[in-house]
Amino acid sequence: MRHILRLFILLVGMFTAVGCYAADKAPALTTPDQLGPEIQQPIEFPHFRHAGDAKDGGMQINCMYCHTYARRSMVSGIPPVQKCIGCHQSIPEVRDHPRIKKLFAYWDAKKAIPWKKVNDIPDFVRFNHERHIQRFYFQLDRPYQEVCGYCHGDVKKLVVDRREKPLTMGWCRSCHMKDHPISKASDKIGHGPNDCFTCHK
Amino acid sequence: MTENDFNRRDFLKVLGWGGTAVALSGCGNTSIQNGKEIITSFVTPPDYVIPSVANYFNTTCAQCSAGCDIMGRVREGRVLKAEGNPHSPINYGKMCGLGQAGVQNHYNPDRVTKPMLAGKEVTWDQALAAINDKLGGVKGEQVAFLTGDISGHPRVLLDNYLEALGSKNHFSYEAASPAVLRAANKKAYGVEMPRYRIDKARVVVSFGADFLGAWITPVHFAQMYARFRKGTRPEGRGVLVQFEPKMTLTGANADRWVGIRPGTEGVMALGLINALGAYGLHIPSDIAAAVKEYTPERVSLDTGVPFEQINKVAKILKERSPSLILAGDAAEGYAHGLQNALAIAMLNQVLGNIGKTVEAPASVPFPQLAPAVGNRASLVAFNKGLADGKYKVVFTYGANPVYSAPAALKFQDNFRKADFKVAFAHYMDETAQAADLVLPLASAMEDWATVVPEYTAVPEGGNSETYVHMSFRQPMMEKLYPDTRGIGDMLLALLKQRQPDTYKGFDDFYSYLHGAILKNKVALGSKASDDDDVFWNATVSKGIVPLSGHANKVSGKLTAADLKLPPTTGADIAYPLRLIPTVSASIRDGRNANEPWLQESPDPLTTVVWDSWVEINPKTAAKLGIKEGDIIEITSRSGSIKTQAYLFPGIHPDAIAVPVGYGHQGMGRYANSIGANVYSMLDPVFDDKTGDLAFNETNVKIAQSGERVILVKDEGAAGGSQAHMRIAVQWPVDRVDYSKEV
Repeated sequence: MRHILRLFILLVGMFTAVGCYAADKAPALTTPDQLGPEIQQPIEFPHFRHAGDAKDGGMQINCMYCHTYARRSMVSGIPPVQKCIGCHQSIPEVRDHPRIKKLFAYWDAKKAIPWKKVNDIPDFVRFNHERHIQRFYFQLDRPYQEVCGYCHGDVKKLVVDRREKPLTMGWCRSCHMKDHPISKASDKIGHGPNDCFTCHK
Repeated sequence: MTENDFNRRDFLKVLGWGGTAVALSGCGNTSIQNGKEIITSFVTPPDYVIPSVANYFNTTCAQCSAGCDIMGRVREGRVLKAEGNPHSPINYGKMCGLGQAGVQNHYNPDRVTKPMLAGKEVTWDQALAAINDKLGGVKGEQVAFLTGDISGHPRVLLDNYLEALGSKNHFSYEAASPAVLRAANKKAYGVEMPRYRIDKARVVVSFGADFLGAWITPVHFAQMYARFRKGTRPEGRGVLVQFEPKMTLTGANADRWVGIRPGTEGVMALGLINALGAYGLHIPSDIAAAVKEYTPERVSLDTGVPFEQINKVAKILKERSPSLILAGDAAEGYAHGLQNALAIAMLNQVLGNIGKTVEAPASVPFPQLAPAVGNRASLVAFNKGLADGKYKVVFTYGANPVYSAPAALKFQDNFRKADFKVAFAHYMDETAQAADLVLPLASAMEDWATVVPEYTAVPEGGNSETYVHMSFRQPMMEKLYPDTRGIGDMLLALLKQRQPDTYKGFDDFYSYLHGAILKNKVALGSKASDDDDVFWNATVSKGIVPLSGHANKVSGKLTAADLKLPPTTGADIAYPLRLIPTVSASIRDGRNANEPWLQESPDPLTTVVWDSWVEINPKTAAKLGIKEGDIIEITSRSGSIKTQAYLFPGIHPDAIAVPVGYGHQGMGRYANSIGANVYSMLDPVFDDKTGDLAFNETNVKIAQSGERVILVKDEGAAGGSQAHMRIAVQWPVDRVDYSKEV
């Protein structure tokens, strides 16, 4: 009898210890906003200036003008240096700005800019940008800032991007359980897939 | 149960629960590295590239000489996997395990990455200068080039280079090649490599042709075989009979596998002709007279096959036409190999198969692109030239003669006699180690080439008389090591030393190939008015260029005079067993031994992995007291090797079989010292007519060395007895003496 008791205490103890440790580490699941760490990027890219609203001094450029692969690939893609230069070579007004000088230094050296990854998810999760963009932006015709913002928050107000949502499974599921019409033309209601293998494959 | 002690069961419970708790709570963000990982974007995005979306490029497999057309999956500039090109008439979108391992050849950690002169890294300029320097004082005939199978534009450049040097010494050497068969076919049908229409035959009788495993173009034959076996075919489901001393993968698939005494395949073929005559098949009188002495009783005595079986096979051949008779490695590897192959070809002739299931292939309209096919006779000739001191500067490419030449030829010593040896090498294999200058080759996935396969097949709707094709090999990614170069680039650089004016217009092999293809675009099926770029892009993206070749004819050319077989000899008293070196479907001749997927994929019949083994008939083994896993010393007159025993009923009691391709010294971490090199102990016996090294002419004796291992194999300890057949003599594990383990 004693050894069963001993075993029981041991088990409960271990479970609690491991659980406490994990609970301490894991982010809370359903907080609407949870800022990630501030990240130093090689160039302080001003998102608010490019994507922000006109009243805030922004140019309201569509996110997918630069993150051009989002609508046709799993990943959204960091814009190629050529993309930046394509516009900036015709904007002599800002050529003296330190950030732009840095940008041209990379371009002249034909070197890629080593951007740091901001929105990372574990390697065992497959998140597909294309599916989300196709559904909400192209089929449901929702504004792009809203669609991208589901996961990325209000990037248009930031200078350097920062993770704004938890990007955890529970948080993903909190959206995937909500019903929405499946396309603009149809009355049918559906929600995102909740099968394990959709993301874990 | 003790009161205080934690017993094993409780321990496991705690371990289990603890593990579960960690797993449940720890499904966390362990691999998240916000702000640490770098994502690199393109500076200038290439056309058609979307990150995370794969592109597919058609190219040609380089793992063996069959020339299967394949399609590589490329993502973010890295080739990930290859599959067959569905438009290929050779492999119909399929691919074998050997081909799959091509990516491991490409990403191999043991590749040669820098030119090395006398063991020291040098620059390309120094390497090329060294060659130029050494060539300065020698005459053309003192230069020799040893290659494997080579075709297409690399062959053109090689021929041009030798011509520029004034040398005629090109030796094309393949350790495993159907060279005797080519000679027999030429004599019997008028072409070296006819098309074997397995799919059209109602019966296939194969004398040791492992066409599903490693014979000529196995992926193609496997496709044809699948059609041959379909019951829905108008001819009905085909019947396969296999005569061979050692069961191959094809033998294992046969309806009737007949274990025949090694070397008596020709006797069996003549016996079948005689028996066919008895069943009423019309046989020309001179041939009938020549085979009269091969009565079923005598053939049965010589071959060890019961005569009922011989009659049964003859009967089925008589009743079902067309049939197809194949002569494979097992039949041709003898001093009388050519006679064996001719006797077998005569069966096709009397059965009227020539023109029906033995078809004439077209020859390539550009003969300079045709494959220079390898054989073992050229190794012998090359070796003789080296021994006589005729060659001062030698080049090797795509062949590893220091490894695969039998020790009796003393190749290694003779190779040293050449003053300057240049090896174009992918790995630091045995030949590269013996060379003075090692030039690093780009992998087939980084290089341009054209390939004309030796065995050509015709696609649906193609003209079977004139169809031939050329396949493209194109780079699927940037070079992993910038200092490697393709064979075309190297030959071009060497040609520029000799004839700078002729070749100065070509920056690299790509520009040479591009120019050569466009110059002939009309002959390659385009209109003169078509845009060059459109034509080039279409050609490269398809990967296969159909050509209109010259039609050939096949006819039965054999006469009774060709049917001379030597008398069957009795057993050698001192060396009573016949050694059969086998070519396995994955390791083949050993050039791919450093690809771990091939080492770990089990042999189809024995399921042994990561080592060589010797197949011994259980009866022979019982006589000698040999059990599975015993380390056996195999001794021939020319050498000896040690390897582990595997008891295998699919081998003739008078023979043992050891796979070739193992036992490398060097080459790489996955090949080095794995298994034993059976090439080294082969007796120097040659085919009487072609001079090809006779593979199966080595007599051996075997003895236990006293050591014993547990054989690493996929099948269970019970081995073949799992299939309700008592095959291996079992030895309970607790009776193994571990003190003798190695």
